[in-house]
Amino acid sequence: MKKLIYIAFICALINSCEVIEGPYMNDVIVPVDTGSTEFVKNILIEDFTGHLCKNCPDAARELDAIHDFYGSRIIGLALHVGTTFGRPYPTDISANPDQKFIYDFRTSEGEELDNFFQVSQNGLPKGMVNRIDYTSENHRKDYGQWLAIVSDELDKEVQLGITINSTVIGNTGDINITTEALTTLTGNYKIVVCLAEDQITNWQKDGDIDDDTYIHKHVLRTILTSTWGENLSVGSTYIDDGDVFEHSYSINLTDLENENIQHSQDVLVQGNGNAGAWESTNMNVIAYIYDTSNYEILQVEYTSLLVK
Amino acid sequence: MKNYFLIFTLSLSTLIIVAQNNSEIHGDFSLILQSYVEDATINALAADEVVLSNSYFNLLYSNNNFTAGLRYESYLNALLDYDSEFKGNGIPYRFASYSIDGLEITAGNFYEQFGSGLIFRSYEEKGLGIDNSMDGVRLKYKLFKGLSVKGFIGKSRTYFTYAEGIFRGIDAELDVNETFSLESKTKYILGGSFISRYEKRANPKFTLPQNVSAYAGRLNILNGGWNYFGEFAYKINDPINSLQEDEMNYASGSAFTNSITYSQRGFGITGEIHRADNMLLLSERERTGKAYIMNYIPTLSKPHAYTLLAIYPCATQAMGELGVQLDVYYKINKGTLLGGKYGTKLNLNISKINGLEGGYSMLNDNTNHTPKLFSFDEELYFSDINLEISKKVNKKVKYNAVLAHQKYNKDFLEGKTPGEYGTLTSTIAVFDLSYKIKKGHTIRFETQALFAKKDEIATSEHEGDWVMAAAEYTISPNWFFAVQDMYNYGHENESKRLHYMNFNFGFLKGSTRFEFGYGKKREGIFCVGGVCKLVPSSNGLNLSITSSF
Repeated sequence: MKKLIYIAFICALINSCEVIEGPYMNDVIVPVDTGSTEFVKNILIEDFTGHLCKNCPDAARELDAIHDFYGSRIIGLALHVGTTFGRPYPTDISANPDQKFIYDFRTSEGEELDNFFQVSQNGLPKGMVNRIDYTSENHRKDYGQWLAIVSDELDKEVQLGITINSTVIGNTGDINITTEALTTLTGNYKIVVCLAEDQITNWQKDGDIDDDTYIHKHVLRTILTSTWGENLSVGSTYIDDGDVFEHSYSINLTDLENENIQHSQDVLVQGNGNAGAWESTNMNVIAYIYDTSNYEILQVEYTSLLVK
Repeated sequence: MKNYFLIFTLSLSTLIIVAQNNSEIHGDFSLILQSYVEDATINALAADEVVLSNSYFNLLYSNNNFTAGLRYESYLNALLDYDSEFKGNGIPYRFASYSIDGLEITAGNFYEQFGSGLIFRSYEEKGLGIDNSMDGVRLKYKLFKGLSVKGFIGKSRTYFTYAEGIFRGIDAELDVNETFSLESKTKYILGGSFISRYEKRANPKFTLPQNVSAYAGRLNILNGGWNYFGEFAYKINDPINSLQEDEMNYASGSAFTNSITYSQRGFGITGEIHRADNMLLLSERERTGKAYIMNYIPTLSKPHAYTLLAIYPCATQAMGELGVQLDVYYKINKGTLLGGKYGTKLNLNISKINGLEGGYSMLNDNTNHTPKLFSFDEELYFSDINLEISKKVNKKVKYNAVLAHQKYNKDFLEGKTPGEYGTLTSTIAVFDLSYKIKKGHTIRFETQALFAKKDEIATSEHEGDWVMAAAEYTISPNWFFAVQDMYNYGHENESKRLHYMNFNFGFLKGSTRFEFGYGKKREGIFCVGGVCKLVPSSNGLNLSITSSF
């Protein structure tokens, strides 16, 4: 009897493998319809990265690939963090003749998030997908995990709809956020509003190459609310289906940029103040809402900063 | 976790009461406590907690054919050279096992290795911060004379949780001589193993295998002083879960290791060759890091114990390497000119490890690359030629001397940008002298020197030459005192020509050992059997306690 059990076990094992024959890419790819005016569940991928991190571009490319596949429902945010991978190199010509990596991409808010979620201390690249699994301390995800989580998250019911309206022209203007509850919710929720910049060409370690033509995407520049946001609903933990909340922010980009420069110069470890040259035409507003009980992001939306 | 502990303790107590006769209970404890203070000269960071600690308590109960055990682990918080995912307390290891009619059943945690580990190795190595114990069930059974089979199903531990992949494995070993009652002087042992990992498929763009398998065959032939061991392994396609075509690799993996040894009294020679190509097997296809590695390619370089010989160690590359090693041992007879009164032991070791032609195997819709099976002129990863002489001069004096010449591809082995450090060439000399002052009192002096040559292409600062001296005084069986200094006198940057002093003393009584130390540690790579980790620089006090009963 025992021999039979073993033989059955062996047969089961031998059958438990799958050799895949090419072509490996599926023939039919169904694009996701993102043109609908109805609210859909969007996903925020916070990509903790650093320009000195040689494996981080792999994560950025995976984020791009996920975005390319699922479209605008995937919103990326690159947070350059930590001293090991995020610090700038010295600007002294004799020590750094090629002036490599002299830009400081770090921000005070990025560092605060990194310290709280303990990401860079566990090695980069790592990311959070809608910050899920925070309560089980499993929120730091390798980029290889992102896709599977995105698939699961996209299947979730959309609970909130966010509309962003920016009146920013030049360096100043207002950002108005309207949030509509699409279902009944109980609990505490906060809204966070960030500015991120695309198309920054600057040095990046990429595998074995020091690439001075690397294009950094959706780089966190600042957070307009506090890092942890502000209450979505004031004075109540009950949100009814159809409730609408309005939040407004007046911004002056020059002031925000100078604050960032000052922070790099005065606070960040090995910071050099070389954290300016913001390009408003490439900037986006990203607004997200999270549940304060588990930090899970329920909804995220983005739009360009400047009035089109 | 606390409930587990309570249930387990109560169960053990009950068992002990019910079956007092043949019961045995054993345990051991270890604690490492380290303080970390900031030291800008060596880039050592202070710990917010000031003191960090790792501790372990093993408990093992046995009664006739029944065994049960657990390990309590505590990381409050983990030492800085550990992954910070090790955090808090818990009982991540517990098991119960019994044997009956030749069948051994284990439920809970267990460690397992098939053959030399090419397709599967679940093990614990505290020095590296690795523990990928399985949690599941395992059966071992001797089917008939000479044939033993073991199989298991389980998930592997990752820190205080378990990885997603479900592993199923089976291994059989046949002692041909025993099975067929052969009287031959030549002994043949055949082995075969199979492993399969299940992980849910979740990729809308590429086809992914949910069940990835690997298998291996091995042969061991023994005849007198001769011993041949060979193992060949194969892994089917095991792509990661990505939407990027360049990242998707459907190539199969392969590995082999072959060694032949001849030994007789006073002489031994071993020749070894191994090759690995795309042979990394992870507990989760999406993850990176050593905590998820589930197979093992045995190292081909000599595991050096002396500090400067091991300052640039070789990390085995499961994704692709080809290596050869020759190891010769010879003892010059006593009573000869070179052998002296007690004889002289010589050990010559030569090893060379290089990459594969064009890198590891790669297969997807756009790429199809398979490296040559044998190609010894590819990028050099590591080479080492060393001669060790061990001699007892008289009843009081003995010494050990080593001369080595190593090449270490720092850029590749440490993941640096090519050209940053290049390949370091170093010549290392070690002289270790012990003098027995009187009964129970021994003093040992150790001097080491490393002369390093910078690669011409290197753009980063070169550490250059090192010297090291150490003295250790032992009063058997209770005390020892040691002091050592490593001095990086040849660093290109004069401000980094630093001393790394360490002071230690220890007290031993029975099975309990206390050791106190203070000093600076250099940032470096630490390896055990070709598996390596980065150890950050540190400065502070340390306390180590081990005990067993």
